[in-house]
Amino acid sequence: MKFSVTKEKLLEGLQQVQNVVSTRTTLPILSNVLLQANGNEVHLTTTDLDVGVRGSFEAQVEKEGATTLPARRLFNIIRELPSSEIQFDVDGKNTASIRSGQSFFKILGLPEEEFPPLPKFEGAKVVTIRQKDLRDGLRKTSYAISTDETRYVLNGVLFSFKENKLTLVATDGRRLAMLDIELEFPRSHEADIIVPTKAVTELQRLLAEDGEVKVSMGSGQIAFDLNNTLLVSKLIEGNYPNYKQVIPSEAKERVTLERETFLNSLRRVSLLASDKSNSIKLNFSKNNIEITANTPEVGEAKESLPVAYKGRDLSIAFNPEFLMAPLRNLIEDEVFLDLIDEMSPGVLKIQTPFLYVLMPMRISA
Amino acid sequence: MNENCTQLWQRLSAALKPQVSADTFKRWFSAVELIDATDNSLTFRVPNNIYQFWIESNHMAALQAAIVTAFGGPREVRFSSPPGTLVQVAEDAAALKEVASDSPRDTKSVGSALGLNPRNTFESFVVGPNNEIAHAASLAVAQLPARTYNPLFIYGGVGLGKTHLMQAIGQYVWAKKKGAKVMYLSSELFINEFIDAIQHSNLVKFRKRYRQADLLLIDDIQFLGGKERSQEEFFHTFNTLFDGHKQIVLSSDRPASEIANLEKRLVSRFEWGLTAELQPPDIETRMAILRKKARTMQIKLRDDVFEFLANRIRTNVRRLEGALMRVASFASLSGKELTQEVVEHLLKDILQEEARHSVTIEQIQRRVAEHFDVRLADMTSKRRPANIAFPRQVAMYLARELTKASLNEIGDAFGGRDHGTVLHACKLVKKRMHEQDSLRQTISFIDSSLQR
Repeated sequence: MKFSVTKEKLLEGLQQVQNVVSTRTTLPILSNVLLQANGNEVHLTTTDLDVGVRGSFEAQVEKEGATTLPARRLFNIIRELPSSEIQFDVDGKNTASIRSGQSFFKILGLPEEEFPPLPKFEGAKVVTIRQKDLRDGLRKTSYAISTDETRYVLNGVLFSFKENKLTLVATDGRRLAMLDIELEFPRSHEADIIVPTKAVTELQRLLAEDGEVKVSMGSGQIAFDLNNTLLVSKLIEGNYPNYKQVIPSEAKERVTLERETFLNSLRRVSLLASDKSNSIKLNFSKNNIEITANTPEVGEAKESLPVAYKGRDLSIAFNPEFLMAPLRNLIEDEVFLDLIDEMSPGVLKIQTPFLYVLMPMRISA
Repeated sequence: MNENCTQLWQRLSAALKPQVSADTFKRWFSAVELIDATDNSLTFRVPNNIYQFWIESNHMAALQAAIVTAFGGPREVRFSSPPGTLVQVAEDAAALKEVASDSPRDTKSVGSALGLNPRNTFESFVVGPNNEIAHAASLAVAQLPARTYNPLFIYGGVGLGKTHLMQAIGQYVWAKKKGAKVMYLSSELFINEFIDAIQHSNLVKFRKRYRQADLLLIDDIQFLGGKERSQEEFFHTFNTLFDGHKQIVLSSDRPASEIANLEKRLVSRFEWGLTAELQPPDIETRMAILRKKARTMQIKLRDDVFEFLANRIRTNVRRLEGALMRVASFASLSGKELTQEVVEHLLKDILQEEARHSVTIEQIQRRVAEHFDVRLADMTSKRRPANIAFPRQVAMYLARELTKASLNEIGDAFGGRDHGTVLHACKLVKKRMHEQDSLRQTISFIDSSLQR
């Protein structure tokens, strides 16, 4: 295998795939990236057996072929190379010679045959989604994924394809984020699948502003085809909990908030929320919210926020981090906060079909 | 919900209502049932796992406070979801198949009480050259526990009879020796039990239970790999039993030394007694298995159907029996004559699966090249120095033995050689295998690694 390529293209290609590289040391081949040169392209593939990514970059291929090389090492070398022109030459024993300007590197690889192939998706159900829609959807929900490994069904985002709608759901048992994307697909493609956190994170990095992503659902597997990049992942087995149970049926009070102003106030006040109780209190009164936090033996913070609020006086406490997470990830200027009483969950909404249910903290004393 | 629980739940609800909002109570607690109450724990049944997740995360403090108000002291709270949703590991583990030594010894109940399948006995086990040693060793162990081979370590691939042999030992000992305490379980169950014991801090009870066994049979021991604390616990159990001259039998899908992340001291102990391997049955044994099975199921099939099944399903006895079952039930339901076409059609999926596991010439070439450290390209090249030619001949021989390819096809796959060359290679390798033990071992090693 022999090809030459510019540093920028190669780096860009490696960046797309290198995050997946396994940290498990049991199978050395998994810390390698598979390079396959044919035509005027070089394909790059990495996998940790759970998630796999395949990308490519343009190159002048002089001799076609394939090999695998240690991904992190390769990336570090390429990043430091002095010149923009890079020549790659791999011999029959999978030893790669990399030349750039005055530098010369020789790295030892493993044969391509050892590299586990990505699963095939023949006869899978395919649904096409606009990349922007999916990227925004995941951004607005994925922060609520549980990291508690004992609740493994919650360690991912639920993709529920039902009635010409894709519903994305993430929850960790204290809060729940949910969003609908309008889609068209045949009835036979209706399914509930759980995409694991790692795949969601990678997918968010790969999704772009334009174009479409083709989602193929096989048994226990999913593939996201983004024109020139492909991400495949195992799905989490099990039943996602019935999330609808969590959503309060009615709201007593509603307040409209400017997202950024609200977020900034919260951020300031939360500096004085203690690590231990970690709660921040919202005191609602006519046309005003007072946000307070105090930590014994440290101090307290208070900030008033004028709002249009006509409801009854109400105090409710939330975990500040959980309240700020959706505000940070939403892009809308205006958000609505629906409340019932001190002990019932608050619901954050926007104009489009999205909601975030957050359990209040108990107000002590 | 029994009456007692109903009353307790009413008391608890009354205490809980002031603690949570009306909506919360209605939403989360009205669907909850109290199904078991003891002095230190309460078990609630919830409709599905969201109830458990949400109550645990958000309403645990309120629930505990209510419990204290209602019953005067804290209780451990457990949840159980109906099957299909998440079930707590701890509760699964409670289903351990243990036998009290004084329960009635009626042979019919043996199987169910021990968690053993009464069909898995020595009588129903078909012995062939592939499993002779394992069978003989198991029988010896069953007749004289802890005298001959201790521990007995049985390993082999899927569906080759590991579990059958272990259960046969268990039932034999159980039937022959009065008062013997036989325990049969999978290593997964052992691990779950152990975790449960840690969680509820009753390790003493856990240890006592295992360390009093006269015969401990642990299936699929490879799952201990990587579970450090379980390994340690098992190590001590093992030593206690071994020192007390109690029999231990273990099974695994690979040799002890190949189990990943298994501590050295355990590996050496596992290899202490006798290690017996189960290999895939040869054609004669497969025929014998089919005939025996057909006899016990009282089905009659033509000889060529038996032959067809034995020929086409090579790797897995379980699959072989499944295929027989399918063919037999089709025959009895439809009353049609079973021709080869019909059988082939019936077993399409199984045969496909089987074919997928069958070896290709390319795999053989690759494995042989790897073993003899020659390049893959040499398998097809025209070069003929001895160090390349001989591995090539070995690969041809294996291709002849393991695939259905004709001599011509094999010749083509090896760089367009003619069938005479292939035939010569097969003869030569066969002859050399006769003469050299080391070569025979090498080839059988490559063979078995290809079959895996």
